[in-house]
Parts: sequence; C-alpha cells; structure tokens
Amino acid sequence: MTVTFQLNGERCRFHDDPMTPLLDVLRREQFLTGAKGVCREGFCGASTVHVDGEPVMSCLKPIGLVSGCSVTTIEGLSSGDQALDPLQAAFEAADVVQCGMCFPGMVMSLSAFVRDNPHATRPQIKAAMSGNICRCTGYERIIDAVADHLERQKADVLTKEAAHV
Amino acid sequence: MSDLSTTVMDLPRRDARDKLRGRTRYTVDRVRPDMLHAVLLRSNVPAGRIVKLDISAAREAPGVRAIATGHDAPGLYGIGIADHPLLAIDTIRYHGEPIVAIAAETEAQARAALALVVLDIEPVAPVLTMGEALAKDARLVHEGWRDYEVLTEGGARDGNIAWEARTTRGDVEEAFARPDVTIVETTIRVGRQSHVPFEPRTAIGSWENGRAHIETSTQVPWTVRNVTGRVLQLPPGRVRVTVPPVGGGFGLKFDATIEPITALLARITGRTVVIENSRQEEMATCLCRENAEILIRSAVTADGEIAGREAVVLMDCGAYGGEQIFLSTMTAHTLGGNYRVGAMRLVSRAVYTNTPPNGAFRACNGVYNTFALERHTDEICQALDLDPLAFRKKNVLGDGDLGATGQVFDGDVLKPMLERMDTLRATTGTLEEKADGRLYGRATTVGTWFVFVGPSAATINMNADGSATLVTSGVEIGSGTMMQSLPQMVAGQLGLSPDQVVVREADTDSAGLDVGVGGGRTTVSIGAASIGAAAEVRDKLFGFASELLQTRPEELELVGGRVAIKGRPGSGIAVSTVVQHAQTVSGPITGTGSFTGKGVPSMSGCAFGHFIEALEIPIFVVHEAEVAVDPDTGHVEVLAYRVVQDVGRALNRRAIMGQIQGGVVQGLGYALHEAVTIAPDGRIREDGFETYRVPLAGDVVPVVADLYEGAPSSGPLGTKGAGEVPILGVAAAIGCAVANATGKPVRELPLTPPRVLGLLKGRETSPEFPHIAASFEANTLA
Amino acid sequence: MDMRDGPERMFLSAATVAEAVAARRAGAAVLAGGTWTMRDPRRGVSLPESVVALSRIAELQRVEVLDGEIRIGASVTHAALAGALSGLAGFEGLAAAATGAANPAIRRVATVGGNLCAIDFAAADLVPALLALDAGIELALADGPRLLPISDFLRERSELLKTALLTRVIIRRDVAASAHVRLPLRKAGDYPVAIVSIAQSTDGAIRVAVGSVEPVARRWSALEAELAGKALTPEEAQALAEKTNDFIGRDGIEAEGWYRREVLPALVRRAFAALQKGGAA
Repeated sequence: MTVTFQLNGERCRFHDDPMTPLLDVLRREQFLTGAKGVCREGFCGASTVHVDGEPVMSCLKPIGLVSGCSVTTIEGLSSGDQALDPLQAAFEAADVVQCGMCFPGMVMSLSAFVRDNPHATRPQIKAAMSGNICRCTGYERIIDAVADHLERQKADVLTKEAAHV
Repeated sequence: MSDLSTTVMDLPRRDARDKLRGRTRYTVDRVRPDMLHAVLLRSNVPAGRIVKLDISAAREAPGVRAIATGHDAPGLYGIGIADHPLLAIDTIRYHGEPIVAIAAETEAQARAALALVVLDIEPVAPVLTMGEALAKDARLVHEGWRDYEVLTEGGARDGNIAWEARTTRGDVEEAFARPDVTIVETTIRVGRQSHVPFEPRTAIGSWENGRAHIETSTQVPWTVRNVTGRVLQLPPGRVRVTVPPVGGGFGLKFDATIEPITALLARITGRTVVIENSRQEEMATCLCRENAEILIRSAVTADGEIAGREAVVLMDCGAYGGEQIFLSTMTAHTLGGNYRVGAMRLVSRAVYTNTPPNGAFRACNGVYNTFALERHTDEICQALDLDPLAFRKKNVLGDGDLGATGQVFDGDVLKPMLERMDTLRATTGTLEEKADGRLYGRATTVGTWFVFVGPSAATINMNADGSATLVTSGVEIGSGTMMQSLPQMVAGQLGLSPDQVVVREADTDSAGLDVGVGGGRTTVSIGAASIGAAAEVRDKLFGFASELLQTRPEELELVGGRVAIKGRPGSGIAVSTVVQHAQTVSGPITGTGSFTGKGVPSMSGCAFGHFIEALEIPIFVVHEAEVAVDPDTGHVEVLAYRVVQDVGRALNRRAIMGQIQGGVVQGLGYALHEAVTIAPDGRIREDGFETYRVPLAGDVVPVVADLYEGAPSSGPLGTKGAGEVPILGVAAAIGCAVANATGKPVRELPLTPPRVLGLLKGRETSPEFPHIAASFEANTLA
Repeated sequence: MDMRDGPERMFLSAATVAEAVAARRAGAAVLAGGTWTMRDPRRGVSLPESVVALSRIAELQRVEVLDGEIRIGASVTHAALAGALSGLAGFEGLAAAATGAANPAIRRVATVGGNLCAIDFAAADLVPALLALDAGIELALADGPRLLPISDFLRERSELLKTALLTRVIIRRDVAASAHVRLPLRKAGDYPVAIVSIAQSTDGAIRVAVGSVEPVARRWSALEAELAGKALTPEEAQALAEKTNDFIGRDGIEAEGWYRREVLPALVRRAFAALQKGGAA
C-alpha cells in the first residue's frame, strides 16, 4: 500500500505495510532520528511529533492513518540554521538538558501546549507533561523554563499591545 | 588555593542545542540500512541444562549471515571472579539469559530465524531467593564455583556465596554485654531498582584491519574493550571502543553486556552488526540495583552513645557475581558510616540466585544501607526516647573519628551540615498545613558516600588558533561533566574561555586507561588528569614565551588567551602565537596527565575481602523530607524536599543543582514507586512502562538545596563528585518521614500506596530472615 | 527492503459504516485510534493481517448534544469528548473520565469506541462513567443497527464484536450531576487501580459504577439499593459502601485485589463529596 503525506512541509510517499508505526517510517526510511522509540507503548512521549499540528505519539500511529496528514518532526520545528523555537531557546538558556533523549518529544508536546495555553498555571504545565517521561532531570527545571517562557510571552504581548495604543 | 574566578561559572551545556533539535546521534540513532541486525535467543526458564541446541535450520533461513553460540566465545568474565559467559554454555542460570545470537539482513529475518533454533532445556528447580540460596543443601547456582579464575584475591567464597566482605573493629561482644546499653535490632528488606535509561543498551560492532571496533552506549569503554578481548580470547590490543553521546546510564552501562556479541558476529561476517535491546529485553535483563536483606543491631547507652554495632547485609547478585562482588565493599563505608560507633563488625555477602544479574545503580548499595541505617537510628531514638535530630548532631562522624575499617575521618563536616539544614528549614519554612487532613511526617537524615577514584588519563593538544583539545576516555552520559566541569577546569588552568576547549569523546585508541564514568569520579579523576596535562602545557607555553618576551617563567601567567606578565592584563603575547612559534621550532605543544587514588590507610586487621578499605574522598549528605500520607489509600505525597550536599567545591552551581533535582527524583522513584518483582518462573515481571512506574512530572517537587563547600578533599581544586550522591539519602528521608507520619515501622521499600495502606491496616509485617543466624559469627565464612 | 514475510496486509480505510461492517464480517480487525492495537506486538501478539480503519467515516466523529440525549460517535477521541462536554451540567463525571484517562497525547488519539471495545482493558475510564450514566450502545450489524444498554454490551461484547461495529454511545439527559473518582498509583499518567463513577438522575436516583477492580467494570447494585431514596452525607455513603462491598479485586502487577477492594468506600465518599459540589472530582 502507498501512503502519501506531508513531512516537514514536503510531500512524502511510503510504500509498504500500512500498519508500520509512523516512528519507524521517520527513523528507518527518512533517517529522521529525533523522535525516539523508548517505551513504544504511549507512556513516555519520546516519539511525539505533530500530526496536523497536534502532538501525538508516532510509535502508536500506524502510517496508514497518516494518509493525507501533515507531519512535523523535531527536525522540522527549527530546521537548518533557523533560530530555535522560543521554547527550545528557553530550555537551552536555562540549561535544563541532561542526556537529552526525552527532549525532542518534550519539545514537541510542550511547544503545542504553550501555543494553545498561553495562560497555563504550573499545575497545568505538570498535567500536560504526564505523558512525557524524563529519567534524568526530575522535571522541575523544565517546568520552570516553560513557566518563564509563558511569562515572557505574556510580557511580549503586552509590550506589542502597548505599542499599538 | 589559586584564583578560580575563571573556572567557577554557570557554563551552559554545549550539547544542549543539538539535543533540543533532535540532531544528536546517540548510538541507537546510528543504525544504517547496510548493517546486519542481531537478535538474541534468550532462556525462558530460570535454571536448567541445555540438552539439545540445533541451529542448522536457522542458519538456512532467509537473510541469516551468522549464528553464534557460547562455544564461539568461551572466555569467562566478571568482577573479582570470572564466572560469566557471554552466551550460556550448557547451563542456564536465569530467565532471559542469552544463548544464541543471530545476525541477519533485517531484524525481522533475524527474529524469524530465532524461531527455527531447536533448543531443548532440561529445567531444574530454580534458586530464586537468597533465603533459598543460603538454605542448607541448597542447589548450587554455580556447581563449578571453585574452578573459576579469581581476578581479585581476598574475598571469602563458598557455594552460593559469591563473595563475602567483612569488617571488625573493637570488641563488639563486650560492647553488647555492657550493663548500661539497650540493644535495638532492625530488619530491612528492599527490592530492585531498574535504571530505565531512555537509550537502551545498543552496540554496533565491526571488524576493521583484524581488530574489533565497537561503537556503543556505555559508561565504561575500557571495560568493554577488556571484556571483549577476554571473552573472544583476542590478542591484546585488538579491540577499539568509541562512544557517541549516551542517552542515560545511571550505572546500568557500567559493565559490558551485548557489546562483545556484536564484535563476534562482525568477525564472522565481516559486516557491521547492530544489537539494540528492545525495551522489554532491556528491563527484563536490567542490571538492577540489587535487592537486599539487612539485619542491623546496636548497643546504645541511655544518653545516646553508640557503644557497639553489628550488621549482616545480604546482596542478591543474581546469576552472576558482577558488581555486587565489588559493592560488598561499600557496606563498611555506608552502613558503617554516618556515626561514631565504639565497636563495630559488619558482614556483606553477595549471593547467587537464578535471577537476572544485578549491577551498579547510582550510589549503589549506599542507597539502601543508608535507608537501613537511618531507619535503625530512628528506631534507636524511639526505643530510648531521644530526639532524632539531637541524636544525629551528637553522634555523626567528625574530625578524628573512626570508620568501620579504622579509617580516621578528617574534619567536622556532617555536624555543620546538619546545622545548615536547620538554617535552610528556617528559610523555606515547613509545609505541614499542606497535609490538609492527611498524616504529616518530616525527617532529617544523613548519609556517607564517596568518590570512586581510580585511573584516568588525559592529553591536551594545543592548536595553532590558540584552542586546546582535551582527549580523555570520558563519556558524556548526560551528567554534563564532559560539557561543563572539564572544559571549565582546563580553560581556567590555561587562561582560555571554555568554548576554546574542545573535548574529545571516548575512543580507546586515542586516550589512555580509564575506569569509566560513574561513582562521581569524572570531575575528580579525569579532572585531575586534565589539570596535570594542563600543567605540562602551561610549563611549555611559559618556556617559549619566556624566550619571546625575555621574561622569567615565574613572572608569567595565562589569562585572557595570552601569556601575560603577572599583574599586567593584556600584556605579553597571544597563546596562539606561542603555539605557532613552538610548532616551527620544536613541534606542537602537548601535555599529558594521569591520575589514580593515592590510597588512604585503614587499620590493619579490620577489613577482609574489601576492594576499597578506606574512602579516599568521602562525601556527606543531609536530606530532609516532608510528606503527607493519605490514610484512605496509602498514597504518599512529598510536600517538600531539602538537601545540604557536601560538594567540596562547586565549579558549576547550576549544573550541580540540576544533578540534585534529578538524583533526588530518581530516589523518590526508588522510595515510593519503582518495584521490580520476580515471578515464580524467575522472570522480572515489570518489563515495561505500564508496570514499572518512574516518577512523572506531577509526582515531584522542586528540591531546595544548599551546597556545602570547603570540606576536605584531595580532588582537583577541592572538588568532589556531585552527580552520583544526590540519590543517596532519599529512601532514608522518605522512609523515616513516612514512619513518623504513620507511627508504623517502615522496613521495606518501595512505599507504594498498597504497601503503605497495608502498614496502616496492619497487613504488613516486619521482614523476618530465617536464613540470617542470630549470632553474628554464624553469618560469616571466617 | 521487505520488512515482512507473508501476504500483504489488507488495510481498508472505510468510507461508510456499511463498508466497515462488511469488512469486519470478512474478518478485518477494526482500527480506531490505534493506541491499543499498536501495542499488540509488545504483548506477543501479531498485528492483525486485515484491518479496517474508521478514520474517514465522518458520522462516527460527531458529538450531538440534543435536548433529550447526547450521541457520541465511536471515533470521537477522549480529548474531543472532554471538549464537547465542557460546561454541560450533569456530565461532569464523563468529562472527568475523558480528561483524566492516560495522558494528553493518548487522549488526543484514543477513541470512545476503542475504550469500550478493548476487552482486556480492565482500567478503561469511560466504561464506568458510561455505566453510571446508563448509556446505550449502538451497534451496526449486517442487518441494521441495534441499541442495547451498556451493561448488556459489556456482558456480551466479545461475542457481539465478532460481527458488529460499535457506532455510537447514546446518553439520556435526565442526569442532574455526576462524578468520576479515579485512583492512579501516581498523580496522573497511570491506569487507575480503582474507579468509582456516580451519577444522580433528575428524579434523585443514584447509580454507582466501579471500574478496574474486577476484570470488567460493573454497577454497584448492592450499594445503589442501600442509597435509594436517602439523602446522605459523603461519610454516610462511605459507611454504606463498606457494608455493601461485594467486589472481588483482581490481582495485578500494580496492585493486589485486596487493595482495589479496600479503597472503594473512600472513593465513594470522595465521589459523593464531588457530586454535592456539583462537579468532577
């Protein structure tokens, strides 16, 4: 079976078993190894990518269900020498990364979350992370960085609004 | 101490950006389509004899390129005792033990071929618990234990006792017989902890110019090199190991496991071969923190003097000795640490069972020995009606006090740290009001750990552009040492900025021996070797600059990328100019350094069977937890967590805080959530993320930490390892806090809701060990 | 590079319910969100050789909120259901079930139908919530649709689902308030080890359902009988729950049966407290 979808803005075709997990198509066929297969059961979030703008776990997504969809991976979030996504930049500046294996998934989950929840509270950030496991960092500094990022985003909005008055 | 203003800083990690963009290629990301995939046929019984093994049909299966069995790698390996074959030969000793390795063009083909292997195992009754292993007339897990090569002399061994380490200092029997003492006894049982590094153990082996080259996710490239050479019986020097960024280790990757198999299959096929453990395999064969059983008994006077102490610690090494043989040594320094004790004797036994082998996990047996000791301490205080915090302040190890092996401790550290905890608590306040009707408990505990010193080597090559390349066998496992403290140290020594220091990842062909990244040793051991290399470089730079500047070397200093005249910043000559000059007159400037522990004396006649008789660099911690226990469901919520950690000197405070937050949370997992249990068929039951529950974001709290600097340390610049130790005191603090909240004797871990509700409802009984004799002497081979 | 041996897998993305039913009758496995099926290999089960996907059938993705009832298509995800029920008085329990299950990425994909049809999944959140609401389950069979109470569906589902397709869940709107109390071992992200879902009808009757304690969720009839016609405090409801606790907890790796059973009265108290606050727990 042939499945056609958009991958990081470009048309992509896959000819093989439609029950192949999207994750395996990304890693084995496209050599996009940012998404990781860690538990492959939907608990850890390391395989998270955006499908039509929403974060989902690519390990549990059969490629047959991706037909006609638009997929963005961590590699597509800020490609080439583009600037980092502001959330990635916040993580870098706060030095929150350790082994780093969970971060592509963490970034894909949380970048959509901060987009959709600009006024999120700390408990809401924690709840949003319940499907992203990190074994190294103990989470709190990641949460600090997300919260700081949201604060800055709000301040930027206020500044822009003030400029328009 | 020299000026460290250019060394100490919150340098961010240089590898963060690529990691955040998904560009970092861990070993698991380096699989290419032209590689062969290897899979392992693993035993599905815990004990048995292989009566038939026929691989002929599998060999003919589509895509199969090579099949290896134990007979292809007959050498045995191990720590202390060489008891471990690469692939099982004749005897099966654990569920999950690899028997056959098949390499094929695709993983699916290799798995299909596995199904064609004809394997007939005659099962025998397994020895699944330490109680069974120590029973009279127990079946021996290793019938031929007497024939094994002894790699390290000194440990007593007998049958299922793989190794015994024993200490004795003073007359314990006399102390226990004193009329003015109360005797308090505590039994403790803890389960295993699985590391769950996000990158599973993965290795890529190839055969290049008559040598094995293994690219692997390891903490110990030199161990992989040595074990591979040993099991494949290769001539010396025929193995090269290189290490890409490692996606988490925590001690799991402190031993060789699948790596030699890739080399074996690569030798047979001439192709590059990858083995990647599935998550299920990874967890089912995890070299866990071992399960343990502890009996500890103390004689204490009414005013709280610890006159005598004795303890028996049984450590389950699983089917093969591995790290537990080495770690038996640590009981003396952990269970035997923390407190000033009149007379003390301890025995620590690594016991063979037919279960998956255990290994090293961050602060290893220190975590449960500290839990046992601190719970025991609270039970002493309860029995004698003493205040636990005052008791600790009175009795913690101080300057001139003796450890279990007669080591003399240097400096008062723990007592001022306890006082710092009082200050920290006063600053943060406590959170009893957040218990909101639940049972509230708080506990303050202490812990003793160490830096695993040992050999390291470093070379610095100075480049014509003024940058330096640091070459070591260090590995970046996520702790950041290779990204932060090492470049900070070298830059500080050479007057460069850290971004001018290139840090080479491990390649056993380019750097000298190193015992690996673990045991909190990288900053100390590789750091010391690097500082040694920098000293040689500095001397050479000064030598050339002194000629060029017509100034005596003693009047020069390295600052701001220049060889400057002391006290005159911006003077002198650029380092790059000196390096270029040297290249033309006598060749490139390089420096080498090497390090190993100098050794610290213990008292003669105190320690038997110990790999480490005294701690070269002890590390102390004070941990405090506040918890709320739900009386309806047994859920423990951590309300607050505070740490005072002895760091010697903090080179990068922010990075250390990150290690403390992460290490404490791993400890919370061990204390509260993470259970590994063995099924009746010898299998680890929790082999996925549904059943093995690591802490999630909602389960944790921000850890408030105070870094205690200035304690004595022979580490470079006064440093101690800061990444391993944060996990040490967590089970102790949580266990004591839950005991305080519930008023129940907490003697087992993890404190899952069912266990805590069981405690509250009287369903849990304290562990009893019929296989630990009442008399201490009956528990030793002495 | 061919990753598989054997015949090519059949994968039909059905355009209509009739097409999906026909495929099911021909032996195809139903693929909704995939979050349960895709774990088959991990359970040692091969992925189905023939699959019919529901994702193109628009009518299965609708939530219709009508005056007398709510109709939820089988392909509605947990996240979409939570969104559709948000602020809808009486459905706080079901909304909480949809909001609390698993984790956000799973909730965006896992469907109502999948939750009801995963026969081996004892800890499904939506099942007790729908039991408490006395939902109806609409099935499509070759000879037309069939509507049956959820209790009957749960009892007969392994047989029914051999030929039928679950198409919709239908809930009467005669419910005044509801609550869903789940007990995961961690704060969130776990399957709950016990669930109590309760709903109060506009006529005052209270239905109680329990999930994850036994292999299949069920109504707590003995407790419902004791509750009938009484206005109780949460503590009084807990006492009755202790008296009528007739559950036999299932043993699992995560919790033994005694624990699942033991915590139920406290969860009943919490559910009542939430009910009286007029909201989810």
